[in-house]
Amino acid sequence: MPKPPHWELMIVWYFFLGGIAGGAYFTAAIADNFGGARDRGVARAGYLLSLPLVAVCGLLLIADLGVPTRFLNMMRTLKVWDPMSIGAWIVGVFGLFTFVSSALSLSSSPSHAALRRKIGLVGIFFGFFLASYTGVLLSNSAMPFSAGEGWGKLKHADRYSMLVELLLLAALIAALGAAARPLVSGHFATLFWGGLIGLGLLLPLALDLLGTRARALGALAAALVLIGGFVLRYVVLMSVQA
Amino acid sequence: MVRTLAMFTDTSLCIGCRACQVACKQWNELGLEVPEWTGGYQNHAHFTDKTYRLVRFIEEPGGKPNGDLAWLLMSDVCKHCAEAGCLDACPTGAIYRTEYGTVNINQDVCNGCRYCVSSCPFGVVSFNESTGTAKKCTFCNDRIHNGLGPACAKACPTESIQFGFRDELVGKAAKRVEKLKAMGFKDAQLYGADAKGFLGGLNAFFLLLAKPSTYDLPDNPRLPQRNVMVDSLLSIGSALVVGLGVLLSFRERGKGGPHA
Repeated sequence: MPKPPHWELMIVWYFFLGGIAGGAYFTAAIADNFGGARDRGVARAGYLLSLPLVAVCGLLLIADLGVPTRFLNMMRTLKVWDPMSIGAWIVGVFGLFTFVSSALSLSSSPSHAALRRKIGLVGIFFGFFLASYTGVLLSNSAMPFSAGEGWGKLKHADRYSMLVELLLLAALIAALGAAARPLVSGHFATLFWGGLIGLGLLLPLALDLLGTRARALGALAAALVLIGGFVLRYVVLMSVQA
Repeated sequence: MVRTLAMFTDTSLCIGCRACQVACKQWNELGLEVPEWTGGYQNHAHFTDKTYRLVRFIEEPGGKPNGDLAWLLMSDVCKHCAEAGCLDACPTGAIYRTEYGTVNINQDVCNGCRYCVSSCPFGVVSFNESTGTAKKCTFCNDRIHNGLGPACAKACPTESIQFGFRDELVGKAAKRVEKLKAMGFKDAQLYGADAKGFLGGLNAFFLLLAKPSTYDLPDNPRLPQRNVMVDSLLSIGSALVVGLGVLLSFRERGKGGPHA
């Protein structure tokens, strides 16, 4: 019988914050390159948000190691087919990008802005990688739940499109078949249906459709989506190891 | 690489004395553990960070040809797979293959990320809380480098555990299966002996008297890394879709003002 690795709350937080960091940078770089002048604020906020989040991600990963002082051992090898090895490198490289982009976003010089846009286009790749490789990592283990292959798709769509997420979740449940039982009817069912589907998806979707004019409702919807994103990572990671 | 070494565990000869389990504990100086109630003689239920050899006691109702209860014994151990999931998963290079074909964890390099724990198809690799590192059978690395066989094979009183060159042991094992089949053990089979079979063959392979699942072994274990390519392509595909969506929404908003 395969063993669970006992990745617990620190790793749930890492998945969550890493996803936000990657998504924020992703959105910022696209706004920076393709948006109008009004989107400069979005771009700067995205860059400045991603930097501290990646830093926290790195600290969470190091703290979760059995021997944290040996975290640099991850840099002894680079295995391109190994999500854990690539992931460790990506956190570092993406961290570098968020730092440079954040620093440049504080400058008002046009040449700095041009450089920042170019860097952003490259950094997008690493940001998206950070947000999505965790799904590849989880599905490439010997744990029984991982048989489903809808994961990579699922991991990142959630922050951008709630409808897409609902469809992907349905596809994931269908693809997993019996292996999804701990999620949909087992110990994590209340959290899955109530927390993720209800609070994290259907409610914000309804708020979005009904009350686009009220700012408070929009903020509430956004907060609920984030909570849903956290619950998703929690139930997925914990039910795999249950 | 020198000639590949192997352990062949012939479960038809196992008497469940657990000398192997004790010899392993003693040689490798593995600490004490609180026994577990597993409902039978077996202890522990699974491999732990202090149990590298584990005798499984399996009661199979109606497992004998005459319908009686079959009591199957099997001394289980790390398989030292030719294509090892733990070795592929290790991001520090702490898990390595020795010149004898065995798989070992360098305790001075492992930083305890635990990806190998979740990557072993057999649940062999275990995490040790006090050292903060991953642990498993070393194939008695110190002994084989000094001309000795593993402690478990040395201690086995019935030669249920045999140590030697892989090619020789596979030949022996094939003959033994034929003999058992002639004796009426129709389900007798080798597990992991075939180098062209799953995981490139196991360097600790087994002779079983029933199908693998009876022994809590996967029928067709696969490398956990089998999905990496497909998953990565799916990720890239959805990156493009999501990226396009974000791009279009900013394009539309951007039309309102001049592009700075």
